[in-house]
Amino acid sequence: MQAASPPPGGVVSQHTDLEGLVPLAGAAAAMSSFEDADTEETVTSLRVTIYHPGQMQNGIFQSIRFYNPEKLPSSEVVKFGRNSTICRYTFQDKQVSRVQFSLQLFKKFDSSVLSFEIKNMSRKTSLLVDSTELGYLNKVELPYRCMVRFGEYQLLVEKEDGESLEFFETLFIMSPRPLLQEHDWPAGKPTPEFCRSSLWCTQSTSLSASPREMDENEY
Amino acid sequence: MERPLTVLRMSLYHPTQGSAVFATVPQRLQHDTSPLLVGRGLDAHLQLHLPRLSRQHLSLEPYREKGSALLAFNLKALSRRGCVWVNGLVLRFLEQVPLSTINRVAFAGIQMVVHVEGGTSLEAFVCCFHVSPSPLIYRPQAEETDEWEDIPKEPPAPGSEPPVPGHLGFLYGPSSTADSSPQPSIGGGTEIQLQREPADGALC
Repeated sequence: MQAASPPPGGVVSQHTDLEGLVPLAGAAAAMSSFEDADTEETVTSLRVTIYHPGQMQNGIFQSIRFYNPEKLPSSEVVKFGRNSTICRYTFQDKQVSRVQFSLQLFKKFDSSVLSFEIKNMSRKTSLLVDSTELGYLNKVELPYRCMVRFGEYQLLVEKEDGESLEFFETLFIMSPRPLLQEHDWPAGKPTPEFCRSSLWCTQSTSLSASPREMDENEY
Repeated sequence: MERPLTVLRMSLYHPTQGSAVFATVPQRLQHDTSPLLVGRGLDAHLQLHLPRLSRQHLSLEPYREKGSALLAFNLKALSRRGCVWVNGLVLRFLEQVPLSTINRVAFAGIQMVVHVEGGTSLEAFVCCFHVSPSPLIYRPQAEETDEWEDIPKEPPAPGSEPPVPGHLGFLYGPSSTADSSPQPSIGGGTEIQLQREPADGALC
């Protein structure tokens, strides 16, 4: 941390453990609280990569903030569906049930990390979790990586363990192409190469990609 | 034709005389298929008035087992400070266990017995409440229920000191399929005594 010149009349503290630097009183307080604060726990993170064949035309994902990590309390039942009053994450599609499915966390007895369960909340549509078919109110534990499907929606759900029991984090990514099979790019439309590595995802925000891929308001 | 609702018959007990703990508990409560929240908070579906309780202490979550036409229930502990004792298991924050037909539950000094009468409706379920003037959960020797009549009753395993009030040991017969979590068995014979006492020896 660079020492700034002290303000006129300001108090300067002698903070010798900063290798001879003499920070401002305010900066010293901030530094002290940073150093003394509890070690931050890592959080369980859930990365959801979504695809729907009509995603470019129909605005179904317009209320989902992609690439926006969101921290949620671990006791929350996270609902996905059409009804924005009930659901945390909404698909703007009349064919989606008011509540399509829900995710909830729990802790296994012999584990120090959190696990997820997914429950089908749709009376109309089955929920496929890899090859397991869930009917209404059926639920199953989510493996670390799985494909969730209902109707034409495809969601690749990936979980990374964290220490915290209080919170978890969600991150949504929209895939430009189907998750289950290889398709050619639509002709004439420049889109970035899709890569599932988390390294790419962290770099993507700093890439000077065309605004098209990042701007969900376009849909 | 409407399908019959699943009924949870819930008996409640707390040692304080003329207890205000259950002041706002209705006789009957119909609930949809979202989790039923039990706690001190105003947003709890079953609100109990006890400072020791967390605002959200536990939830009863309806779900359906694959291939079953009936509603099943999952009890999840939601208290960070306290725990929930269920049929011999101690649940800590976010731990959960599926309910059996008859369930003995204890938390924050409250005793609750939940009897699940399955119905085929998947839209809602009903809770019927009864406040008991006397304790619901007894020492194993004194316990008599229809479910366990054929199981010989043994005294608690040596060395397990039952705390007061009311030891919450619960003996499972070998035919019990309700509880699938791997708990260590104490004592010998065909009895499986499933107990996880909290570290401080106190009940949940």
